[in-house]
Amino acid sequence: MIKATMMGLVLAMAAVATAQAEPVTVKVWALDEPTRITETFAREFEARNPDVKIDVKLVNFANIVNDAVRAAATGTAPDITMIDNPEVALFASHNILLDLTPLLAQSKVIDRNDFYPGPIANSTWQGRIVAIPRGANTIALYYNADLFKEVGLNPDQPPRTWAELYDAARKLTDPAKHRYGLVFSAIASEEGTFQFLPWVQTAGADFDTLGSDGALRALQFWQKLVDDKVASPDVLVYRQNDATGQFAAGNAAMSISGPWELPTLQKDAHFTWRVALLPGETATSPRASALGEFANAIFKTSAHPAEAFRFLEYIYSQAARNWNEFGMLPANRSAAPQDPKWPDAYAVFVEQMKYARGRGPHPLWPQISKAIQTAIQSTLTHQSDARTALATAQASIDKILKK
Amino acid sequence: MISQLLKTLRDGDGFEAALVLAAIGYLLVFAAFPLVYNIVMSFQEVDMFSLASFDRPFRGLDNYRDLIQRPEAWEILRNTIIFVSCSVVFQLGLGFALALFFQLDFPGAGAIRGLFLAGWVMPGLVVGAIWKWIFAGDFGVLNYALHSAGLIDKNIFWLSDPAYALAAVTIANIWLGIPFNMILLSVGLAGIPEDIYEAAELDGANRWQRFMSITVPLMGSTLGAVISLGIIFTLQQFDLVAALTQGGPANASNIAQYWSWQMSFQTYEISAGSVVATLMIAVVVVVAAIYVRSVQHEHSA
Amino acid sequence: MKRSLLTGVAVVLAALYLFPVYWMFVTAMKTSGEIFQYPPAFWPASPHFQFRAVFASYNLGRYIWNSLLIATGTTAITIVLGTGAAYALAYVRGFAVNVALFAILMLQVLPPSLMVTPIFVAFNQVGLLEWPRVAVVLATAAKTLPFYIILCRATFTQVPRELRDAALVDGNSRVGAFLHIILPLARNGILITGVLVFLQSFGEYVYSRSLIADKELQTATVGLSTFLGADANDWVGLMTYSSLYVTPILLIFVVLQRRIVSGLTSGALK
Repeated sequence: MIKATMMGLVLAMAAVATAQAEPVTVKVWALDEPTRITETFAREFEARNPDVKIDVKLVNFANIVNDAVRAAATGTAPDITMIDNPEVALFASHNILLDLTPLLAQSKVIDRNDFYPGPIANSTWQGRIVAIPRGANTIALYYNADLFKEVGLNPDQPPRTWAELYDAARKLTDPAKHRYGLVFSAIASEEGTFQFLPWVQTAGADFDTLGSDGALRALQFWQKLVDDKVASPDVLVYRQNDATGQFAAGNAAMSISGPWELPTLQKDAHFTWRVALLPGETATSPRASALGEFANAIFKTSAHPAEAFRFLEYIYSQAARNWNEFGMLPANRSAAPQDPKWPDAYAVFVEQMKYARGRGPHPLWPQISKAIQTAIQSTLTHQSDARTALATAQASIDKILKK
Repeated sequence: MISQLLKTLRDGDGFEAALVLAAIGYLLVFAAFPLVYNIVMSFQEVDMFSLASFDRPFRGLDNYRDLIQRPEAWEILRNTIIFVSCSVVFQLGLGFALALFFQLDFPGAGAIRGLFLAGWVMPGLVVGAIWKWIFAGDFGVLNYALHSAGLIDKNIFWLSDPAYALAAVTIANIWLGIPFNMILLSVGLAGIPEDIYEAAELDGANRWQRFMSITVPLMGSTLGAVISLGIIFTLQQFDLVAALTQGGPANASNIAQYWSWQMSFQTYEISAGSVVATLMIAVVVVVAAIYVRSVQHEHSA
Repeated sequence: MKRSLLTGVAVVLAALYLFPVYWMFVTAMKTSGEIFQYPPAFWPASPHFQFRAVFASYNLGRYIWNSLLIATGTTAITIVLGTGAAYALAYVRGFAVNVALFAILMLQVLPPSLMVTPIFVAFNQVGLLEWPRVAVVLATAAKTLPFYIILCRATFTQVPRELRDAALVDGNSRVGAFLHIILPLARNGILITGVLVFLQSFGEYVYSRSLIADKELQTATVGLSTFLGADANDWVGLMTYSSLYVTPILLIFVVLQRRIVSGLTSGALK
């Protein structure tokens, strides 16, 4: 906090010194988000840095990677773009991102050792830091405390293991009331992989050991949830926010999703909801959770890398606002918010963050992810049994890893 | 010399030639390049960061061989054939039936027919979202209606059951295609002079005979155009798959154009995506050839 | 009696067909919880309207203006270039015509989502991206032109050749025969196809999204996509926005198509 204030002072002084010069324009591509986070930071930064103009272009989630790649290929890249953390490796492996390691070594604002290990690992390629995580996200278990009481479950003791989760889901399922015990996302997109991997990881496996028993148990557990109708078969087409929509509407009593859902739930859920850590396979299994969120990278072609980096420093300095204003956690430890909204949920997500593991990193991550999605979907619909599906996925992933 | 040229342009064969060449010239400038670009990429090893240049390693038919060996290739081919043929048959059948129906003279026919244009006006994003809710297994309106009518006693998971997913996408696509077929066939029907029917009626032809001997032949060129464009449009339908099933579950509703997009833009296997696009171009070659033949037939009739 | 029965049937058919449109309107008035409720609510418990708020806060007026410009430009290019070609292809025979028809059908085969990368690369090379809306118009017209030519050609084949031959005998030039005799008779098909082209280009999304970088120049369909974010979907907002923009267009074209389809061509031919 003190650091951030000092930073502001330093910047303000620098601004006075250079106010005469023609402002430099830094082009930034950012996600189109209702919180307008990047635009907010850009206006604040400009106010303190009259020598820099930040030109923000908003791109939607589905297209940001493709647009950035196309721009890089055609020489129309911006100075800064946002990249989803599993795809940083894709850009970095083509050597088009500016190596930020030397800048970080000199930075008085960013302390690279302050980052949680997951986010910074996914922003690192071959030992060089190529992006600055703008925040971090992970998933946990949301549950409807009112319904817990109604069916005789103790809302102060949410499920901690798969077995407890299954039992709770079973009790909470009520076909007469059109209610499932649990909802999650098994969609054929990155979101499905994001939700599935923690189950594999708590069972001792990972994306490169899908043929193992742990991965098999994870997938069979998901299959059982759907087969026994404690989760809707439509989880196959639900995005995570569709899943939360079902939870908020009372169609499901528990839901797995991240902190970005908090504003929606506050608005739409007319019951007492709480958040718990994602259950492990057993009480002694390692905990695991997914790691999400975007990172900001500077293209090598940028004509104003110093100014661009200053903007990234500013974003970093504001990370304590991430939770209350922008629905995500900070990616660095020291940026804890003073007075977090939803304090109970905040405590759970911070705890969960310790177990969050990145996907990859691998430049061909999207292909690996696709193989995992196909395994999930063909198993949950019984087009294939879990063992065969995972063996097929592992075979394709092995081929990709060998490339 | 120049005045001769002007004369043929104004009042000779040059006039028609110039009209056609202007349009084809435009298309060659703006539409031929992407086609060629796709075809070239299907024979190369393409890295997504080399999109701006043609200078890439040549792989010959290897990309094609790799594609055919993928386990999902045949399922997707089968899905595409079902999707296109069912879409076109039902769009045309229902569209033609509606066009004939609204041709009957009754109060409000014109205005009510116009309402069917809604399918053409609604933005793809909205159509996708609405059909997703209609088909939803747990809270969808379709299941509710079927339930209330006593047709089902267990919910059908239209989007996540491999037995139904392709049907769901096809139904939504038929809905989208009806206005196009109906409105164009209506125009065609309005162009057939009344007195031909009257003469046939005097000759004692019944409704069906009149339909087969007058309507269908006189509508020949419109039908040919609508069918061939219908096939091409269906081969371009893409938003619906993205909104409803993402080609899932596990490719059960995946079709060629979506697969091509997935490979080019999601997993960045751009060569493979271009191979699928090139194969689709090959299919359209056949459709176009059939269309041109039907046009020749129309000349000799 | 029988005729009003037919009207009844027509209303039922239209009601069935329009259900998804109705669902859009109703959803715009629901709360987000009601969207997922079972049994589904065919009318919201307490309808709430946020039409005015959505219109103002999402810059909808500006977006619709851009969409209108792009649709008008696309339709203009398509009609100017396409009508003559369609006429020529309907009246001239021979191998060259077959080749031309074949080429025209072929050139629109790929979906825009697969065309957009090469178009972006090429337009960027020649500097067309400096005029993003023009770039979208040019790219979209290449998409609509084949469609328009094939359909208009079908209309021209319904105009008897004898009329043109007679006009030529009467001393008209070919240009004159086309403009004064044939064109008025085919007006019907030209207008309806033009309307379809206009509506299609009004709803264009892929090219606008990729070729237009400046938010101020963006179209209504792209504005629509901002309701579906990475983290949250504002379904009610999305449906409100699309109701706002679909309704006026639909009403205008309901009126227009009635005049066009039941227009003068069939009368003039008698």
